[in-house]
Amino acid sequence: MRSLIAILAAKAASKVNRISGSGGSSFPGMVAKKIDKDILQKLVLNNFPKGIIVVTGTNGKTTTTKLIANMLDEAGITYVHNRTGSNMERGLISSLTDTADISSKISAEVGLFEVDEAFMPKVCRAIKPETIVVTNLFRDQLDRYGELDKIARSFRSLFEDLPGANLVLNADDPLVASLGYNLENERKATYIGVANYNGPKLKHDYTADSIFDPFTQEKLHYTDRYFSHIGRYRGKRGGFSRPKLDFMAEDVKQKGIENIKFVVNNSTKAIKLDMPGLFNVYNSVAAFATAKIALEISDKDINFALNESSAAFGRSEALSYKGRELLLLLIKNPTGLNQVIQSYLLKEKDRLLVFVINDNYADGRDISWLWDAAFEDLSDYKGKILVGGSRAYDMALRLKYAGLKGVSVEPDEAKLLEKIEKNSSKRSNIFILPTYTAMLSMRSKIVAEDEKAKEYWQ
Amino acid sequence: MKKIKIAHLYPERMSIYGDHGNTLALEQRMNWRSIKNEVVRVEVGEKIPNDIDLIFIGGGQDKGQVVVANDLLKKASQIRDFVESGGPLLSVCGGYQLLGEYFISNDYGQIQGIGLFNIISKATDTRMIGNIVVQSEKFGQLVGFENHSGATEFIGRANPLGVVKKGYGNNPNDKLEGVIYKNAIGTYLHGSFLPKNPKVADWLIRQAIKHSGQTLKLKELNDELENSARKFAAKRP
Repeated sequence: MRSLIAILAAKAASKVNRISGSGGSSFPGMVAKKIDKDILQKLVLNNFPKGIIVVTGTNGKTTTTKLIANMLDEAGITYVHNRTGSNMERGLISSLTDTADISSKISAEVGLFEVDEAFMPKVCRAIKPETIVVTNLFRDQLDRYGELDKIARSFRSLFEDLPGANLVLNADDPLVASLGYNLENERKATYIGVANYNGPKLKHDYTADSIFDPFTQEKLHYTDRYFSHIGRYRGKRGGFSRPKLDFMAEDVKQKGIENIKFVVNNSTKAIKLDMPGLFNVYNSVAAFATAKIALEISDKDINFALNESSAAFGRSEALSYKGRELLLLLIKNPTGLNQVIQSYLLKEKDRLLVFVINDNYADGRDISWLWDAAFEDLSDYKGKILVGGSRAYDMALRLKYAGLKGVSVEPDEAKLLEKIEKNSSKRSNIFILPTYTAMLSMRSKIVAEDEKAKEYWQ
Repeated sequence: MKKIKIAHLYPERMSIYGDHGNTLALEQRMNWRSIKNEVVRVEVGEKIPNDIDLIFIGGGQDKGQVVVANDLLKKASQIRDFVESGGPLLSVCGGYQLLGEYFISNDYGQIQGIGLFNIISKATDTRMIGNIVVQSEKFGQLVGFENHSGATEFIGRANPLGVVKKGYGNNPNDKLEGVIYKNAIGTYLHGSFLPKNPKVADWLIRQAIKHSGQTLKLKELNDELENSARKFAAKRP
């Protein structure tokens, strides 16, 4: 009875949200949980006959989840997933109350959720997923998440409490790989990774944290480090080493900033992904492995889905603004930012480049991470650079110490947009690198402006 | 002029968030004045060169700190001698704690420090997080971001780096931040610390030049951007 009231209240809240166009997607979840604190558990009970999949990790959660969703679409399997960014407990509840009928029944076959690292223990103990994917663990918003090691420990004890769950782990990230090491009762994790990578690398990468044996603290030996602490490594004989890959990408080739090609597990067909960057190859292999082991989707459907995929909201999203082409590239932490530098900025050095750095709670209050990113690799960047956001001056200072000149500061967002227009010509291509809240507000302003322009011409 | 050598201790295990910015600030502020310089990375098991002019140690994850603490004990007398002879040193967060008498951690018990500073630190249940503003007699207003659950207290005589105007500092109680002993500084300020607090960076450089046995009046730099960034940061929640 309590859960019925909770679902009805959440649905009502959701309707209010839609009509007023305000309120976050976590609001209905908050209402439902107030009424029934066990609502999350009740909503998954007896639902999802083909299982629940959870995707977590520092970077790539949204994209990996989206790729799995595309594969499910291709295979004709129905699913429920949480909307972008709503990856904490309330967001999950909202996505479930939206689709449940009043008897808590959900007709979809699969539950597919991205879950914030900090909420993993709580959420997973309630929904008991059949499959857990961990993409990677990098330094990220220490003010919110604490140290990497603490997150890893919470995951390890969670996995012990879910003895039946499939684990899909990134073998090339030592800390993530160690989560599947010495599991109870000969339980085996599924390991994904990249066999070799010959593309460009950064010269000033300061983001590696997990380059030590997680059990003995001795330094690991890397035969190749692709970025941060991701790569091919080995430890002492008989101790922890990079696990054998169950799903691996090979022949990774990126040309320009349009796409990246690779082959998974020696299949004869190369996958062409319209999202450049080695990190997206990792996201693809993780999605590939999950589709195979948890959902038994065919290679044909998986390949087709990957070839047809486009970037998720705000992550390498193309928008037009006053006749210019903007590429929105979300940045949240130094490793993600480094990947943007490596896959985009080093390839197109002439474009107008705009950083928008906010320090609101959702961005992380601490902006120290800017100092760990590889701006030194941009010393020969030729395009003009604008910086905005609540920490515009910190960003400008970072670029000054990286030796970049001609940087212009504009903390006010409306004026920044004017400056973007003034400093570029029509039909030119522009890179915008915003933090999370800056991405949301910039995006809505840009989209609104574009709609207005379209209406005018109609 | 002879090259100024900076020893960056344990960059692999002790540079958790933005510590790179501290050595970068020292390097660039010397480069801009045409002072030759070099940063020597010193990892666990490696020796600190005898001819260094400045020591920097950053913060790390608790787990990495145990290995570093043991290694630091082997370097203790060299570091103490360096500081006693006027050598400049900057230590941030975890590095600061390990230069005290001891640190009592939640997971690894009592970790022995090298006793350079008259401080002890203990893990607490309060996570002291946020932008921090400090008033220092020597340097004026200092800003940074703190993120620690270890609380530090003075034992015996010790001078704080400054008084906390916003935030926590050494501990939740006495409104003091950091420590300064001879030319050695300990602080909880990340951010990175030196780029937004150029007075401290230049003071360290001045001491390093003096310690190298040379004399040079530092040229003034244009710190407009540094000062704007500090003013903005001081206003953030």
